[in-house]
Amino acid sequence: MPFSRYVEVGRVVLVNYGPETGKLATIIDIVDQNKCLIDGPEEITGVSRQVIPFTRIALTDFTVKIQRNARTKTLKKAWEEADTMNKWEASSWAKKLSAKKKRASLSDFGRFKAMVARKQKSEIISKKMTELGA
Amino acid sequence: MTATPRYYPAEDVKPAKAVHKVKQNPPRVRASITPGTVLILLAGRFRGKRVVCLKALESGLLLVSGPFKINGVPLRRVNQAYVIATSTKVDVSKVDVKSITDEHFSRTKDAAKDGEEEFFMGDAPKQAVVSDQRKADQKKVDDALTKAVSAVPMLEAYLAAQFTLSSGDKPHLMKF
Amino acid sequence: MPNTRPPRLHVDGAILGYQRGLRTQNNSVSLIKIKGVDSKDEVDFYLGKKVAFITKSETADKFGNKFRVNWGKVCRAHGSNGVVRCTFRRNLPPQAIGGKVRVMLYPSRV
Repeated sequence: MPFSRYVEVGRVVLVNYGPETGKLATIIDIVDQNKCLIDGPEEITGVSRQVIPFTRIALTDFTVKIQRNARTKTLKKAWEEADTMNKWEASSWAKKLSAKKKRASLSDFGRFKAMVARKQKSEIISKKMTELGA
Repeated sequence: MTATPRYYPAEDVKPAKAVHKVKQNPPRVRASITPGTVLILLAGRFRGKRVVCLKALESGLLLVSGPFKINGVPLRRVNQAYVIATSTKVDVSKVDVKSITDEHFSRTKDAAKDGEEEFFMGDAPKQAVVSDQRKADQKKVDDALTKAVSAVPMLEAYLAAQFTLSSGDKPHLMKF
Repeated sequence: MPNTRPPRLHVDGAILGYQRGLRTQNNSVSLIKIKGVDSKDEVDFYLGKKVAFITKSETADKFGNKFRVNWGKVCRAHGSNGVVRCTFRRNLPPQAIGGKVRVMLYPSRV
C-alpha cells in the first residue's frame, strides 16, 4: 500500500507537545516548511486556531473535506459529517492512548489488580499454546 | 485600696510559683494518612511491606498492623516519614485499638541481674520473648482487621504482596 | 518465609560533578541527575529525600559490614532538566563523579 498520510489541508493531526498535548486538530493551511495553521475545531476537540510547528503534531489516517483556510464553522460541520471523532476513538491508536492514560491513573492497589489479571491472562495463553503443541 | 490583713505571718511564706505548663500537642499526621489507610513501609526490617494504619499515637508515630497472619508484620509503631500512604482504605471502624498506646511498646526491663555469674554471662544473646499480653492484643486487633480485609476482594493478596519499584517506574509520577 | 528478592525502594542517580562556576567549584554541593526525572516540576517529589553514596571497602566494620554509606539529601533543583543539588555529610570524593547514588523514597510526603 502506498504511503498516504500527507500533510495537507484537512488532515486530522494529534498534538503531542505543549498545553494541547493529546488533543486532535485539523490542518487548515500550510504556513511554510516547518509550520502549519491548525484548528480543532475548538468545540469538538478543544484546540483553538493556531500556528504550530510540524514537530509538535503527528498525522493521523483521517482527513476531512474542507477548503483551505476554512472557517471554524465549516470545519465543525465537516467534522460532524465525516464523524471523525468516533472514527478516531475506534482506532487502535486512540485506544492505546486511552489505555496508557488509564494505566497511569491507577492507584497502587489498581496496579496490583492489573498485574494479577495480566498473570492470569498469560497463564491461559501459555496453557492453550501447549495444548496446541506450538 | 485594699485593707491591710489582720493577720500577718511572722515567717515569710513564699507563694507557690505558677508553673508554666507546656501542653505538647501530638505531632501532626499528614492528611493522606487516616486510620484504615494502606501504607507502604519504606525502611527497616519490614521495608516493602504493605500494612494497614490503625491510628496515630500520642507520640506521633503510627500504629500499624500487617495483619500479622497475612504478611508477617505485627502490631508496630512506624514513623510517618518512612511510609508511603496509598489511596486504598480499609474499613477499620470495627477494630478496637483504644487500649493500645505508646506504653504498650515500651521495653520490658530485664529482671535485676544478680551475682557475678550473671555479670559475666550478661553479653550472651537472649531469646526475644513476645509477651502474652502482646500476643493477645495482636490477636484481638488482627481478628477484626482480617475480617474487614477479607470483605474486599483481592485486598488480602494485595497486603500479602511486596511493594517494589521495577525498571522504568517513576515514583514521582506514580499515583499511590 | 519465601526466598524473595529484597524490594527496590530507591531510584538511581548519577553524580555529575560539583556545583561550579567557570573557574571555581563548590565541593560541598554535588549535582545529581535522578533517573527518569527530566523537568523541574518533577524534582519536587524528591526534595528532602535521603541520598546514599555507597562504597565498598576492604575492611569490615564491627558488624561485619563491608559497605560504607555517605548519606546526603536532596536540597533543590539545579536548572530545569531534572538535575538536583545535594549535600552530603562528607563531601563526595572526586572519583565519585560519574558514579551512582541511591535516592531513597524517604522522608516521604505522599
